Amino acid sequence: MGRRKGEGQKGPIPDSFLDFAAMNLKEVPRKQNVCMVSDFFYPNMGGVESHIYQLSQCLIERGHKVIIVTHAYGNRKGIRYLTNGLKVYYLPLKVMYNQSTSTTVFHSLPLLRYIFVRERITIVHSHSSFSSMAHDSLFHAKTMGLHTVFTDHSLFGFADVSSVLTNKLLTVSLCDTNHIICVSFTSKENTVLRGAVNPEIVSVIPNAVDPTDFTPNPSKRDENKITIVVVSRLVYRKGIDLLGGIIPELCQKYPDLQFLIGGEGPKRLVLEEVREKYQLHDRVRLLGALEHKDVRNVLVQGHIFLNTSLTEAFCMAIVEGASCGLQVVSTRVGGIPEVLPEDLIILCEPTVKSLCEGLEMVIAKHRAGSLPPPAAIHNRVYDRVAKEVVLPMDARLNRLMSRCGPVAGCIFSLFAVLDFLLLVFLRWLVPDSNIDIAVDATGVRGAWRRMSTPPNTCTNTGYDSNYDVARDLNHTQ
Amino acid sequence: MTEEEFSDINGNTISLDCQSHSEFCKEFTVSVPKLSLRKVMNYTCAVWLTAYAVFFATDNTNVLSAAIIVTLVGMMLHLHFVKIDHESMLIIGSLGIQISASYASGRESTSFIEMSKVKDIVINEAIYMQRVIYYLCILLKEPSDPGGVGAVVPLFQVKRSKHFAHNNRNVVIVMQYKTLYTLFSHGFTGMLTVLYLCLFQSSKPRLNCLEEVYKSCQDILGQS
Repeated sequence: MGRRKGEGQKGPIPDSFLDFAAMNLKEVPRKQNVCMVSDFFYPNMGGVESHIYQLSQCLIERGHKVIIVTHAYGNRKGIRYLTNGLKVYYLPLKVMYNQSTSTTVFHSLPLLRYIFVRERITIVHSHSSFSSMAHDSLFHAKTMGLHTVFTDHSLFGFADVSSVLTNKLLTVSLCDTNHIICVSFTSKENTVLRGAVNPEIVSVIPNAVDPTDFTPNPSKRDENKITIVVVSRLVYRKGIDLLGGIIPELCQKYPDLQFLIGGEGPKRLVLEEVREKYQLHDRVRLLGALEHKDVRNVLVQGHIFLNTSLTEAFCMAIVEGASCGLQVVSTRVGGIPEVLPEDLIILCEPTVKSLCEGLEMVIAKHRAGSLPPPAAIHNRVYDRVAKEVVLPMDARLNRLMSRCGPVAGCIFSLFAVLDFLLLVFLRWLVPDSNIDIAVDATGVRGAWRRMSTPPNTCTNTGYDSNYDVARDLNHTQ
Repeated sequence: MTEEEFSDINGNTISLDCQSHSEFCKEFTVSVPKLSLRKVMNYTCAVWLTAYAVFFATDNTNVLSAAIIVTLVGMMLHLHFVKIDHESMLIIGSLGIQISASYASGRESTSFIEMSKVKDIVINEAIYMQRVIYYLCILLKEPSDPGGVGAVVPLFQVKRSKHFAHNNRNVVIVMQYKTLYTLFSHGFTGMLTVLYLCLFQSSKPRLNCLEEVYKSCQDILGQS
C-alpha cells in the first residue's frame, strides 16, 4: 500500500482505478487465472449471480481464464460448464441459512485448495459479504499466498446485531485483501466504514458499465469534422448552462466543429435558444432522450466527449465515453477526477472559459494526431492486483492484531495460523505434484475450441499441446 | 504389448499394461502394487494398541479378543471386497467392452457391455471426497432415444463410490472431443444429461494414464 501512496503523490490524481491502465498500455497483458467464489450463483437468481456470470464472460473474452466456485444447489453438484467453457464447481457443502453455507473457516480448505492448485488460480475474486464461502475462500487464498479481490454488493446498517457481527467478519476478512470493489460510491463509503479498510484499495466499478457494450468504432466518425458529443440529462446539475456558453464561442472559432447532444430535460430550452440565436441548426444536433442501447451509437460518432456536470459522485457517462475511445473533457467536480486516468481525461474548472480552453487543447491535439488510439483504452484491475505483494504470514498477523480489535484480532490470528498449519498438513497429505492440472476449456484458447479443424485429425494434437502448455506453466511456477 | 509406469491420485505407482491383440482388440490392465507388509503392520498395531489401552483401563479381556477378531475379519473383508490387484478392460471393436477386476483374495468380477449399447468413452471429472478427480467412463445409449446419450457407465468400476458428488443424470463431459465439439459448434450451452459407468475406479489413475487409454479406445471406437 505504501507503493500506492507514493504513486498518488506523483500525479495530481489521488487514486483512480484506471490509472494503471495507462501504465500497462505498452506491456503485454498477462493472462490471469481468476476464480470467482460466491455462495450465490445460478440456478439461484439475483443481481450478484448475473453480475458474476457476466463479469466472467467479459473476462473470458479478454483472454483470462475464469472458473466459478459455489455450493451445491440440491441435485446440482459436481462440475458444470457454461457458455464459452466457463467452468462451475458446485461443491457439496452444507447450506445453513438463506443459501449461505456455514462458516467453520476450515472445512472448505481441502477442496478449495485442490481447486486452486489444479486450476492454477492466480487471483481469487469473492463476491457478496453475505456469502460465508466468499469469506472463507479469501481467508484460504491469503494463506496460500494468492492475490485476492473482494466485491461488495450490498449496504449494511451499523446498529442491529446481525450487522454488527457481519461487519466484524468483514473487517477481519478485508483487512488483508489486496483490492476491494464496490458497485457504487455509497457502497464504497459503507464498506470503508464497516470494514475499517483503507479507502485507497477500494475501487468503485459500477455493475452497469459493460466494456463490451461500449467498444470503439472509428469508422462511424466523420473525419472531415470534429464532433463533440454530450450525453446527459439536460438539467441544471449537469451544467447545461455552461454548455450553452461554450457552443457559440467554439463554433465561431472552429468552422469544422459540430455538437451532438443526447438527452432530454428542462434545460433543452437553453440549448434551443442558443441554436436559434446563432443560427447553428446544422452544427448542433439535439437528439432528445436516448435509450441505453442507443448511447453507444451516438458515442462512436464523436471525437471528443464533453461532460459539464456541476456536481457528480461518479460519472458513468465519461467512462462510457472513454470506453468508446473518445477523448474526455470534463469539469473537475466531485468524484470525477478519480474515475479516469490523466491521459484519458482533460479536467477543467466549471466555467465557460476553462472548458473552452480544455476543448481547444483537445482540438489542437486532435489536429496534431497525438490522441491515443481508441482500442488501447481498457481497464485491468487484475493486472494491478497481480503486481501487488501478498502479505507474508507475520505481516498478516500483525495487521489482523492491529486492525481488528484485541479479541477478534487474536482469535482470527489464531485461525490464520491454524489455517496455515492445516494447509501444510494437506500439502503433506496430497502434494501439489499429485494434483492433476485441469484442462483449460475457457474461451478461444480453450481445449474444445482448438477443434476448429476436423475433429479426427486433432483429437490428439489439439488437446496435447494445450495440456503441455499447462504443464509448462506448472514447471515455471 | 507395452507396460508403462503411472501414478494414481494418491501418488502411488501403478502400471498400465496395454496389450494389442489385433487392430480391433485391445486390452488395458492397471496393476496396483500388492498390499505392503508395513501397511498391514501399521493397521494391526493401531488396532491392538488401542485395544490394549482400553484393556488397561477396563480390565476386560473381551476387548483383546474383539481386537483379534476385528483385525482378522477386517483384513479378510478388505482383501475380498476392497483391495484390488488389477483392473482390466478389454475392448473389441464391433463386439463390446469387457470390464473385470480381480481382488487380492482372488475373487474376480466381470461385466460385459455390448457395443450396440455403447455411445462413447469419455474422461469426466468429479468431486471425490475432498478432491476433484478425473475418471474414465463409458456413455451408454438410451434405448428409447438412439440419438441422445442415455447412460454413463464408469469403466473398471468395482465399487460404486457414494462419495462421488456427481449425479447420474447430470454429468458434463470434459474430454469427449467429438460429441462436445459437435455440441459447442451448434451453440450448445446447456447441460448434458447422461448416464455413465466409471473405469478404473479402484485404482484411480491420474489424467495422463487415462488419456493413454482414452486415445486407444477412441481409435477402436472410431474404426468400428
